[in-house]
Amino acid sequence: MIHTNRIRLGIVALGIVPGFISPAHAQQTTQPDVQQLRAYNVSREVFLLGTVVKFDSASDTPPMGAHVLLQTASGQVDVHLGNAKVLQASHLELNPGDSVRIVGEPLALGDSTYFAARIVQKGAQTVAVRNTKGFLTTPASLMSPAQKEALRGVR
Amino acid sequence: MKRLLLMLAAAGALWSAACSGNGIVNPPPPVGKYSNANLNGQYAFVTNGESFTGGLSATPLARTGSFTADGLGNIAAGVEDVNAAGTTSLALQITGGHYTVNADGRGTLTLQLGQNSINFGIVLTSTSDGLMIDETSTSTQSSTGSGNFVKQNSGSFAIASITGPYVFDFSGLDGGQGGTQGPESIVGEFTASGGPITTGVEDVNDNGAFTTAAAVSGNFAADGVNPSTLTGFGRGIAQLNGTQYVFYIVDSSRIRILSTSGGAMLSGDAVAQGNVAPASLSSTNFAFIVAGSSINGGITRVGRFTTNGATVSSVLVDTNNAGKFIQTNTVNTGASISFDAANPGRGTITFTDPNFSNSPFRFVFYLSSPAQGVIQETTVTVSGTNSNAVDVADGTIAAQTASPFSSSNISGTYALNWSGLSLQNGGGFSVQDEEDLLSEVAISGLSLKGAGDIFQFQNGVPVFDLVTSGSITIGSSDGTSSDGKRNTMNVKLVKSNSTTVNFVVYFVNPQLAFFANNQNSNRIVAGVLQAQQ
Repeated sequence: MIHTNRIRLGIVALGIVPGFISPAHAQQTTQPDVQQLRAYNVSREVFLLGTVVKFDSASDTPPMGAHVLLQTASGQVDVHLGNAKVLQASHLELNPGDSVRIVGEPLALGDSTYFAARIVQKGAQTVAVRNTKGFLTTPASLMSPAQKEALRGVR
Repeated sequence: MKRLLLMLAAAGALWSAACSGNGIVNPPPPVGKYSNANLNGQYAFVTNGESFTGGLSATPLARTGSFTADGLGNIAAGVEDVNAAGTTSLALQITGGHYTVNADGRGTLTLQLGQNSINFGIVLTSTSDGLMIDETSTSTQSSTGSGNFVKQNSGSFAIASITGPYVFDFSGLDGGQGGTQGPESIVGEFTASGGPITTGVEDVNDNGAFTTAAAVSGNFAADGVNPSTLTGFGRGIAQLNGTQYVFYIVDSSRIRILSTSGGAMLSGDAVAQGNVAPASLSSTNFAFIVAGSSINGGITRVGRFTTNGATVSSVLVDTNNAGKFIQTNTVNTGASISFDAANPGRGTITFTDPNFSNSPFRFVFYLSSPAQGVIQETTVTVSGTNSNAVDVADGTIAAQTASPFSSSNISGTYALNWSGLSLQNGGGFSVQDEEDLLSEVAISGLSLKGAGDIFQFQNGVPVFDLVTSGSITIGSSDGTSSDGKRNTMNVKLVKSNSTTVNFVVYFVNPQLAFFANNQNSNRIVAGVLQAQQ
């Protein structure tokens, strides 16, 4: 018998969420149903302030892609950044010790939750790694009109 | 940076590095019945993937066109249209080229476009069609992607040939109306009458925003700028709900379509629709495959269900959501199917994973026949008054026939193609990037042996002539047993090093199967196993 590997998410997993959100949002006390975390909802967004502990441009820890481990005031948080090529195309490097601000929200994936970034800010640099519906952006999303025009050379 | 620079680093790439001490392994000489003579005539082709032209990051790329092969290894003529993330290059003349077809049906195809050329690996699935991957890696462009080519009937190269009901599925990227481009899927049906579309209906998932059962209007016409491409290559211009598309007529039963306006990149086929009365679906087993984008990253779902046109049972689904593998064995509670009386062939199906009872799986489908159609996922998560899509994904639904599936009927030679994302290291910076594989395999005793090419795009260059081997394990045949077992397949690829990819497999019939990887979260790929005729 093959059992489903979807397991109802425990309240413990959800319980870490308020611990690392910004104080400005800490008064938010209503916990979303974990099943609602299967879709992105900008009204749930919070932001993280922290220091980069580790950046991995291609992690096979689901969700696949770029991850950054942040040290926040409430502990370490693993953040999914999507496609590392978006950061690369924007010349945004994340190195240990960098201070960053990340806008996003917790999402459910199978039997666990993770923090999904939508906007990554480092100093004056801001990069959108998800759109407002939560779908990952691509480097093509960031192209200027001149860069798009240059694509007419593609054969 | 640096796709072209990365070409220099290809020796350090996943496939060809890491291998000191190991010799390069090449497949044995091909055997089979094919030759250059089997690619002869006009073929309409499509690929979807990525391109890199230097100075910019890789860009989503869709192409469609027509080439003329002479049966002797030469490309006589052709035309193609290109859409790179919404930027189009139209009616590019194919000025020549060449091709090879080996005895096993594998081969190469080079299309010359003036000073530039684009290159493909091909596998014939018959003398009328085949699968292809873009393997272009020149000083001016790298591009990859999976697709296929189908022999055209030049006798149908007229607008009048586009007559009757058709089912369509276009997918790709929207025009970025929301600020950044997002994924988009459009499935539907229309009835054309030698030019104008007289009626139609479509379902759209644009970046998570649904439009349900909307009317379709528009028309098909010759290209006013390049009118001779209609009679020469079956090419013309379509207007569908305000968006312009270029189309290629395969014959009166199939049209290949690529968007050319609004900054969108959408492509797909429209297929003639036959009698699709719900009564024709009594006791039908269906397999399906959808792929696209979830909020977590890439997503694939393959599965099957049984329906009598009124109820749904024996649902199995295997999901790879951004590297997270999820098996759904439905308890059939709440599973239902319904048909749209006003729009023949259109229907919806719902079933519930008991672990996600608040957001049941939902799909809309359009059947082109009782045995085949297109399908779009419409699953949402409801939060208060908000209803948010969990993904943008679509694909194919097909009736399962000729089961049970076993070593006695899954036998012979097959084309094997997969496409998707994998983690790749091209020159020191690891990312997720496009991966396309095309092989030909002989299957005997459920063991696979053959050869193929793979293009992991971050590497900049494809790797040719991998030894392809593996095996299929029949766990559930058509999936109607109640034990939740699956059919599986492993594929081992060997060149200078090796890797094995594991898949779950759903057979449509002994000649066709859908599969998606179900282990190792460094890939999100799905594909088809298709018998050679």
